[in-house]
Amino acid sequence: MSLRLGAMLPEVFRHLFKRPATVLYPFEKNTVPARLRGRPVMDPDKCIGCRMCERDCPAEAIEVTQESETRTDDGKVKRRFSMVVYVDRCAHCGQCEEICPAKPDKAIKLNEFFEEAAFDRGALKIVYK
Amino acid sequence: MDLLKVALYLLVYPGLLFLFVYSTFVEWVDRKLYARFQHRRGPLYTGRAGLLQPIADFVKLMAKEDIVPSSADKPLFNAVPVLALAAVLTSGLLLPVWHFTTGIVSATSFPGDIIVMAYLLSLPTFAYFLAGWASASMYASIGAVRVLTLLFSYEVPMFLAILSPAVMAGSWRMAEIARFYQLHPGYLPVNIIAFAVAILALQAKLERLPFDIPEAETELVGGTFTEYSGRKLALFRLLTDVQMVTGAGFLATLFLAGFPGGLVPGFLWFIAKTLFIVLILSAIRAVTARIRIDQMVNFSWSYLAPAALLQLVAVIIVKGYLP
Amino acid sequence: MSETFVLPVGPQHPALKEPTSFRFKVDGEYIVDADLRLGYNHRGMEKGCEARTYVQDIYLLERVCGICSNAHMTCFAQGVERLMGIEPPPRGVFIRCLMGELERIHSHLLWLGVAGHEIGFDTFFMYTWRDREVVMDLLEMVSGNRVNYGMQTFGGVRRDLDGMQIKTLLEGIAALKARTPYYLNLGATEPTMVARIAGVGKLPREKAIELTAAGPTTRASGVDFDVRKDDPYAGFGDLIPFTIVTDNGCDVLARVVVRAKEMMASYDIMEFILRNLPAGEVRTKAPRKVPEGETVSRVEAQRGELIHYIRANGTDKPDRVKVRAPTLANWPSTLYMLRGAYLADIPIIMAAIDPCLSCTDRMAVISDVRGGEKVWDWETLRQYGIEFHRRRGIRP
Repeated sequence: MSLRLGAMLPEVFRHLFKRPATVLYPFEKNTVPARLRGRPVMDPDKCIGCRMCERDCPAEAIEVTQESETRTDDGKVKRRFSMVVYVDRCAHCGQCEEICPAKPDKAIKLNEFFEEAAFDRGALKIVYK
Repeated sequence: MDLLKVALYLLVYPGLLFLFVYSTFVEWVDRKLYARFQHRRGPLYTGRAGLLQPIADFVKLMAKEDIVPSSADKPLFNAVPVLALAAVLTSGLLLPVWHFTTGIVSATSFPGDIIVMAYLLSLPTFAYFLAGWASASMYASIGAVRVLTLLFSYEVPMFLAILSPAVMAGSWRMAEIARFYQLHPGYLPVNIIAFAVAILALQAKLERLPFDIPEAETELVGGTFTEYSGRKLALFRLLTDVQMVTGAGFLATLFLAGFPGGLVPGFLWFIAKTLFIVLILSAIRAVTARIRIDQMVNFSWSYLAPAALLQLVAVIIVKGYLP
Repeated sequence: MSETFVLPVGPQHPALKEPTSFRFKVDGEYIVDADLRLGYNHRGMEKGCEARTYVQDIYLLERVCGICSNAHMTCFAQGVERLMGIEPPPRGVFIRCLMGELERIHSHLLWLGVAGHEIGFDTFFMYTWRDREVVMDLLEMVSGNRVNYGMQTFGGVRRDLDGMQIKTLLEGIAALKARTPYYLNLGATEPTMVARIAGVGKLPREKAIELTAAGPTTRASGVDFDVRKDDPYAGFGDLIPFTIVTDNGCDVLARVVVRAKEMMASYDIMEFILRNLPAGEVRTKAPRKVPEGETVSRVEAQRGELIHYIRANGTDKPDRVKVRAPTLANWPSTLYMLRGAYLADIPIIMAAIDPCLSCTDRMAVISDVRGGEKVWDWETLRQYGIEFHRRRGIRP
């Protein structure tokens, strides 16, 4: 191949008249894909307390504790669990959502929230009751 | 009246104030163009469309901590930025802008001012060398040696290139050279090779891509400026901008027929012609990679200097045979 | 007049994206000798793996490196699958392969940009990184994240592709396929760029073999070694056709050419995968405990051959995990290339192997001869790290 002086000149002059490719985040935001793995959100009504998420979390960011134990009229034991998610530690891998055996709907899900920056670490400790 | 004129000339246009404001504007144009060439936006937030960004950067650097390395040659280290800035600001005064008439010889316009101008524009290069040398740092020393090597490779082609319009016009005075081409614009295209050589040499003088060898960020951290910070670095940055303006003005005087028409049209011509040269400089910066110092020496002695000589021969032939 | 002095590059230097330390003995602009010190970025991950379960380890190992995260994940997953004695279903194999190739594209585009930046060609850098956004968006669409895709797991992949996604993927790949030859041409025709990369960092074929270079570095020296061919995995070999790219230039230009052509080969692989995606499940069920045994798993990461050694002891935690990243294999040849080069060529020669220091870094414990061998467990290592930083006034 032969050398061409200023091989990139036509390309750069064409781009002079194009709209820049930069997105002015945070003033403009791209749409988030449906599969985004954002912040883990727990629904205490659905949790069965198996602690699979707590065991599998690679970042040890989940703590599940039993809140109450009530006996319903028909003799069944109903336990209620609360969960603490340390979002500052969370690696957003989605293993908790994947492993959750609750049926028909999973008790822990990753939402579409991704702007996790905070000034205070305490603000990233999220309790679901 | 004359005193007022001189005061205006020194302090306002094209003196200190204008050079400061215009050089920051030129930096903005350069940054914006470079960004748009790269499909980016460039400065955006400070002022309208980021216009005040270079001034904001300057103020920010002025306010930062100023560190002098303990092993540095302190008097030299401190003096160099100021002296170099003074040199380029003086070179701005030599530009034949509005109160020049070819009839009167003054302190800022005299036969031979083209040589003074060229030397004033070269002084910062020596300042860079001294700055690197005084820093007593490994990276700065290598940068300093590279500054000198670079100087030896582009300075001769630069001088040869500015010689040809002068020979053509038969004068050593910038105002007269500009006047000559204003009267005979047909002779302008004759100097086209010299113009190209001068543009490349100016790019090298300003240490911009592909010739930013002395300060090559990925190789030498900051080259000669590695140890500079705060106010002194701000002065160096301003110096480069002013040098770009006066260098562009210098080339516009010699190769683009100067800035005719008195105060206002002259001012507009000045803006238009310097911006045109800045556009060329930005485009060169956008489409090249940094070459090595040995390649630079090779390039200027096997292409730039012969091209400039060829131009000189062409000018002499044209001058000898045409009316 | 021949006076040499030592020029330190690193641990902090603009040419280095991660900390490592080079000592160059230079004579003016020539490099007489080069020396390397590793260990600035050691994070104790191998040890960390032993304290975690396999499921946790796969995410930990993914974070060994940000660029070749999928390669590390695939390598570990297929090693453990071998120990478990399970096979991913065909659709899972295809998607696993697709992820690897998508990651290769993003990594090679990133590398092209970095190479441009190292020689001061920032426009080239901006354009390649802009186009890299296309593949980043595709990866985000498929996996839900731009880096650390978390797609691989034991027994297959974690997410399936639907029809819309396949269509978007094909469009994105077609756009990149049209764009890549431009960069290849530019690398070979732009005079200042050619001046900086042609004939620089020569690594002859015999030296590449002798110094165990890996990946595109060795393929640019004419050695046709590629794990995808020599030890096929993830459908290569029988299911997915694949052409190996080599070049005999032996210099940085050849490495640019090899990477650009590899991208073209990857587009073909991905198009084949997307057009011939088998139906069915994407993963099989994997047990939590891994039977006793040991295995060596190999993957052709973007930077070269990646090796994981895994020893299982019958529990749900591995007994030993050892990572050999391609950059480690490339250091000896880098030092060889740097000796006798110009000072100005240091960044591009270093960048040409696409170094990833966080993958590579090692820590050495020098034990007292009388005290016997010192073994560090995870907790001690962690405490040591916390103490180390506390002494320097850094709050853990």
